[in-house]
Amino acid sequence: MINQVKEIPIEGITYKNLKIEKKPLSREYVPPPPELVPRANRAVCIDPGHTCMPLGAMWATLGVHRAIPFVQGAQGCTTYVRYTFSRIFREPATIANASFHEDAAVFGGRKNLVRGVRNLVCRYQPELIAIVTTCSSEVIGDDIHSFLDEALDLMEEELGPEVREAVKFVVVNTPSFAGSHVEGYNRASREFLKALARKSGETREHVCLIPGMMTPGDIRELKHMMELMGVSHRVLFDISETLDCPLVGMPDRIPYYPPGGTPVEAFVRAGDAQAIFALSPDAGSAGAQWLDRRYKVPAYVMTMPIGVRNTDHFLRNVAEATDRPIPDRLRWERGIFLDAMADTLHYTMMKKVALCGDPDFVAAATWFVCELGMVPTYILVGTKSRRAEEDIRQACEEYGHQPVVMNGGDQFEWEYALKNDIPDVILGHSRCVNIAREIQVPLVRFGFPVYDRVGYQREPIVGYRGGERFLARIVNAILDHQYPDDRTHQ
Amino acid sequence: MDAIHLVHAPVGCGYYTWGTRRHLGDGYNWARPGVLENEANHRRHCYTTAMSEEDIIFGGTEKLKQALLEAFRINPGARGAIIYNTCSTALIGDDIEQVAREVSKEVGKPVFACASPGFCGVSQSKGHHEFNFQFYKWLLKYREEHPEVCLKEEEKTPYDVNIIGEYNIDWDEVVIVPLFEKLGLRILNVFTGNARLENLFKLPDASLSIVHCQRSATYIAELIKQGFKVPYLRVSLFGIEQTAKALRDVAAWFGEDKMRRRAEEIIEEEITAIKPAVEWYRERLSGKKVAIYVGAPRVWHWPKVMEELGMEVVACMTTFGHREDYEKIIHRVKPGTLIIDNPNEFEIEEMIETCKPDLFLTGLKEKYLVRKFGVPTLNSHSYEKGPYAGFRGFVNFARDIYQAVAAPVWQLARQDF
Ligand code: SF4
Ligand code: SF4
Repeated sequence: MINQVKEIPIEGITYKNLKIEKKPLSREYVPPPPELVPRANRAVCIDPGHTCMPLGAMWATLGVHRAIPFVQGAQGCTTYVRYTFSRIFREPATIANASFHEDAAVFGGRKNLVRGVRNLVCRYQPELIAIVTTCSSEVIGDDIHSFLDEALDLMEEELGPEVREAVKFVVVNTPSFAGSHVEGYNRASREFLKALARKSGETREHVCLIPGMMTPGDIRELKHMMELMGVSHRVLFDISETLDCPLVGMPDRIPYYPPGGTPVEAFVRAGDAQAIFALSPDAGSAGAQWLDRRYKVPAYVMTMPIGVRNTDHFLRNVAEATDRPIPDRLRWERGIFLDAMADTLHYTMMKKVALCGDPDFVAAATWFVCELGMVPTYILVGTKSRRAEEDIRQACEEYGHQPVVMNGGDQFEWEYALKNDIPDVILGHSRCVNIAREIQVPLVRFGFPVYDRVGYQREPIVGYRGGERFLARIVNAILDHQYPDDRTHQ
Repeated sequence: MDAIHLVHAPVGCGYYTWGTRRHLGDGYNWARPGVLENEANHRRHCYTTAMSEEDIIFGGTEKLKQALLEAFRINPGARGAIIYNTCSTALIGDDIEQVAREVSKEVGKPVFACASPGFCGVSQSKGHHEFNFQFYKWLLKYREEHPEVCLKEEEKTPYDVNIIGEYNIDWDEVVIVPLFEKLGLRILNVFTGNARLENLFKLPDASLSIVHCQRSATYIAELIKQGFKVPYLRVSLFGIEQTAKALRDVAAWFGEDKMRRRAEEIIEEEITAIKPAVEWYRERLSGKKVAIYVGAPRVWHWPKVMEELGMEVVACMTTFGHREDYEKIIHRVKPGTLIIDNPNEFEIEEMIETCKPDLFLTGLKEKYLVRKFGVPTLNSHSYEKGPYAGFRGFVNFARDIYQAVAAPVWQLARQDF
């Protein structure tokens, strides 16, 4: 007991001194009734594999220069998302909220929006506000567009007509009961382009990329590849310099805005692009396809460039769209990646791997683990996705594996399978820590959300260089776990 | 902690509350034969009805009932359940109380329905308030219907107390509870940190309630006082002086000399144990300026604590403070201290510019903003490396403050380059 510690050292008391005992709540393990294991047989969702739509829309908005999401709903819906972002990025994120109270529930959220938007414009002088709806505003049936008109009229009266030019507005309808955070991002990608993109008539030599919910490190890797290709490019929703910024001491201007983000102008010009790439099919294809339909900008919707095949595929398509060769420098990077794979094959071959995460991440990673000679066993696709399932099926067919795919299942179902057929390694996000410890299997973190590693958001997993890093993480995790069984030196 | 918490809502409301804050517990379920789960029961899993569009249109009570029954079958160790509705399920008018009653009857375990949609009330504080009232009402009813859950007359002692408004953030409870136990008290309940349902039913059977977080939980202490004549004492358990006062006040309430002497002994023993460490920190922290921004009560619990470390409070801000809280804050800080209610980021930035604090005590969401300005921070909601309460927690608190302020990085950031 802690009171036996007579003198407390300056280091204070740690959990270890506290000696807290785990107390079991029941005598022994009772397996769940088998018929209640599959998610499809249950009304209760246990440990959901995804969160709600507004998060995706806010994520996208935070990748735009001087843009602020305005969440039309009660405070909780915003606060929790801010927590989530803080945990993942360890960065500030400004998100405004309409703070719904009882009167909003009765009379609708008109007043909240009109006032909230006005205050936001006056205080923060943003260049863009994305109105993101929530379950409550959708259930109440708020007519956001008419509220917005009213807000604009009011501001014009008060601040002059310039305000219409100075601040752009995008409305993203994101009732959570209709989809997950992935769909929220997807919708945002479409609504931003719908609201902003124009065609000037003259085609400009550039391509647009919609990364999906990649990390800042991934986005920088995409840019690196584009630079080596010599392709002029614009990453839309570029969080690499908004959610990963230097500590600079007291900035001279308040309010604080991160220096980066995609300028509004880049969305406007998207209509003139040579091509648009959606690199996360479930989070971004809606935007790319809309642009294709509306302005005939060819849309390339492709598996996230994780692993050799997916990166090859991406670069070939960029080469085709821009009519440029793939430079030797990228071939060199590819070679290094292959070299690393050859050096580590004895650690990866025939290892059983379970995967869990958002559809875009999981589908791409399935290709990658197959390339490493690993055997995927149980794959949880956190948000139901036909496309991801098809992608996974194709990969497994090519490499001759037969994993169980839980498309849109919850973690409970997936974890139960893992307990009964323990894999050698898990590729998943931070919510997989518990199961990994319980079955004593190493967890390699990737996807959304990863909040219990430092630096994760800066280290890419896409492209050849990112693939090499990802591979190193997988192998090192296996080594840490099984050493000295695996020989690290010869 | 030993209950199933089922959130009746679209997926997000439940997802976000899943194992986030560090209010810990020691009750675990089994993961597999012989292996306990990696986290305490109430944090390990998230149960939700994950309402779909159809459910919203046609109403979700049927689904809720089925979900709850399934949850009980899957988690047989659970002693009961708490079901929550949220904004959207409240808007569509789902009657969760009815479901609670039905399921409780069916499984023979208590089920509490908590209506706490985010839009009712100005803030988190209203949620606390609602919870207190509803919970108390339900408690009374359940005790009436199931008298066996009350503490039996012959088991009662005059030294039975509740600690109320203590959420066991980062195991604060482990430093607090022994202090009172050493006084000779029996702690029936900690409301609610690491709490057991069966104990919560005994809340009204105590002779005294000791109230810590006075914003979120005084309500229930007051209700128990009115209903069962169990008086309550408000205390603060942060820092040396306040913790000592708490022990003395409690001993004085019992009015026994023996207990008073015991209190003095404990205080002396504890202070001796932590003194060298506290002094070491005080020497290094003296004269530093600090700004505080947390939920209301800590903002007025902490100025004293900062003084004990020789620090000066230059600004106080609360997320959900009421008038009463501000009166207490004003009472406890020096004149000239800046006080702001529920500030936005803009006001926080202005505060930093004008007050130039050396340290900012705040939560996770704000801390990264403040750091960008080169101001050290300390996560004061969930703590950095707690516990922070009581005498022994105070050393951890001081250590984390020192680590924040003394890290070389701030100096490096200020250098011209
Ligand atoms: S919907 Fe209501 S209860 Fe749910 S997170 Fe939002 S504010 Fe909280
Ligand atoms: S699920 Fe709906 S109500 Fe709940 S946090 Fe998400 S948007 Fe808000």
